[in-house]
Amino acid sequence: MALMPIFALMQFTSQIVEQAVEALSSFPGIGKRTALRLVMYLMNRPEIEVTHLADALIKLKTELHLCKRCGTVSDQEYCDICRDPRRDETLICVVEDFSDLMAIEATAQFKGTYHVLGGLISPMEGIGPSDLNIEAILQRVKEEGPKEVILALSATVEGDTTLYYVAKKLNEFDVVVSNIARGISVGGELEYVDEITLGRSLLQRTQYTIN
Amino acid sequence: MRVKELKLYQFKNHRNASWSFGDKINAFAGLNGVGKTNILDALYYLSATKSYFNHSDQQLLLFGTNEASVYAKLEKDQEYEILAGFGETRKKTFKRNGKAYARLVDHIGFLQAVFITPYDISLVFEGSEERRKFIDYSISQLNKDYLHDLIAYRKILDQRNAFLKSLEGRLLDTLLLESYDRSLVPIGTRIYEIRKKFIDEFLPIFQEIHLALAQTEISVSLSYESPLTSETFSAVLQANSYKDVQAQRTSQGIHKDDLVFEIKNMPLKKFGSQGQIKTFVVALKLAQYQYLHRKSGDLPLLLLDDIFEKIDASRSQRLMELVCSDAYGQIFISDTHGERIRAHFAPFDVSFRLFELEPEDSV
Ligand SMILES: Nc1ncnc2c1ncn2[C@@H]1O[C@H](COP(=O)(O)OP(=O)(O)OP(=O)(O)O)[C@@H](O)[C@H]1O
Ligand SMILES: [Mg+2]
Ligand SMILES: [Zn+2]
Repeated sequence: MALMPIFALMQFTSQIVEQAVEALSSFPGIGKRTALRLVMYLMNRPEIEVTHLADALIKLKTELHLCKRCGTVSDQEYCDICRDPRRDETLICVVEDFSDLMAIEATAQFKGTYHVLGGLISPMEGIGPSDLNIEAILQRVKEEGPKEVILALSATVEGDTTLYYVAKKLNEFDVVVSNIARGISVGGELEYVDEITLGRSLLQRTQYTIN
Repeated sequence: MRVKELKLYQFKNHRNASWSFGDKINAFAGLNGVGKTNILDALYYLSATKSYFNHSDQQLLLFGTNEASVYAKLEKDQEYEILAGFGETRKKTFKRNGKAYARLVDHIGFLQAVFITPYDISLVFEGSEERRKFIDYSISQLNKDYLHDLIAYRKILDQRNAFLKSLEGRLLDTLLLESYDRSLVPIGTRIYEIRKKFIDEFLPIFQEIHLALAQTEISVSLSYESPLTSETFSAVLQANSYKDVQAQRTSQGIHKDDLVFEIKNMPLKKFGSQGQIKTFVVALKLAQYQYLHRKSGDLPLLLLDDIFEKIDASRSQRLMELVCSDAYGQIFISDTHGERIRAHFAPFDVSFRLFELEPEDSV
């Protein structure tokens, strides 16, 4: 293995390399050492490959939309799931974000549609109900008249608060509100729960009653 | 439970130091600033996963270094090794027999310790938070559910307060307030019930020990003060909701509970003499020890910092007599004069080990 430099003392011989290292090391979980390794790797790849990567990154900002109906990330006005005629439109699963949607898709247990809130209510982080996609789900229920809305939110203080808030708002509509069985993952974030457990908790969901 | 061995690495003024301990009395002697209290604090750190004195672990790193560790070999039902490591750029970890705890709270209660220090006087003179901490520490050592309730309560309360703060005159979203309250109420009510039960069990132990220590029939008492004594928590929150919006924080709840100390039916803070206050506080701590001992069957560590500075000669002799009995286990004690400690323990037939610290031992 090549010698790894001590970064505090390190002097770059190229500003271009230094900038790339700086940029990559701002990513979560990536330190300077890893960033340098990635830069060295990229320097040795064919130009077309690197251009391809750069394009993909730019498109994340320029061409990505949020689905007009469910709020998930999408290349078009409506996402692939919303446009898929095989999905059961009478079932809406409410999730915190895109990665939770992916986690539930990975269970292969759910054939309905989604609604992405874009976060959870957390005044400590400056996120109130109006910062989330909550009005839109009420509107959707009113217009689409689904049979059931499943709330699949993390078993955290923020998840619990959002759960109650949304459930109570949905209470005025003629729709069954259920939540996933969360006993198994108390305190846990949805995306970290394994597929089998998550799939099971989705199947074992219970009707949410407001007391 | 006994600590057989302790090793400190870059912990406060101890660069690299280790000790092997005896079963009963282990005394640290040496000049001011030599690091005696720091050793007791390291033992406390292994118990509580934090320092008794410093709020931030950064302050525990030997000046100019960026990581530290505390290691102990223990004897309980079997032998255990506990290793705590922390530093500027690393995650703090606690390992038991080489296996890291997933969460630090999982370690709480494993190595119980009661620390008696000159700062305990703050129990009497500081705000109610000190007294809630005393109650919560006593209960949490034995009751994991309680500890988790405390943590959950704090999280919900922080969100509720942030919400109240974010309003700034805007219209109150009553539904959001309601969603915090419905989570807060059952947890807060459980905490209240357990605290109340704790005080009921703790009071007679405290009175018994106070009598043994003071050796005079002076009446002492503790009473638990909580808004939940007379009303349900949800009624308390409801009654205060307008006030909370104005004040931008949660004005009432178990996070405001207090413990009132009384001597001869009068408030200790105002009417206790200095000596009475010191005795009261030492009795509180010893009662905490006995509460833990009687409930768990195990003998916690007893850490006595500068105890002879605190109480008069006859009472300190009484104290030695008490702690040398079988109702107390292994003891770690600090004093500037080794011979003074030795003399205090001379009348008792207990194992005694004295560690004389020299300034160059440490830094
Ligand atoms: N992070 C640190 N790094 C190095 N030294 C430290 C650190 N924190 C505290 N100290 C030093 O530790 C010393 C205090 O140690 P300690 O309180 O254990 O002394 P002591 O032996 O109990 O003294 P006393 O008899 O006065 O109570 C002080 O000299 C202080 O400068
Ligand atoms: Mg000291
Ligand atoms: Zn969609």
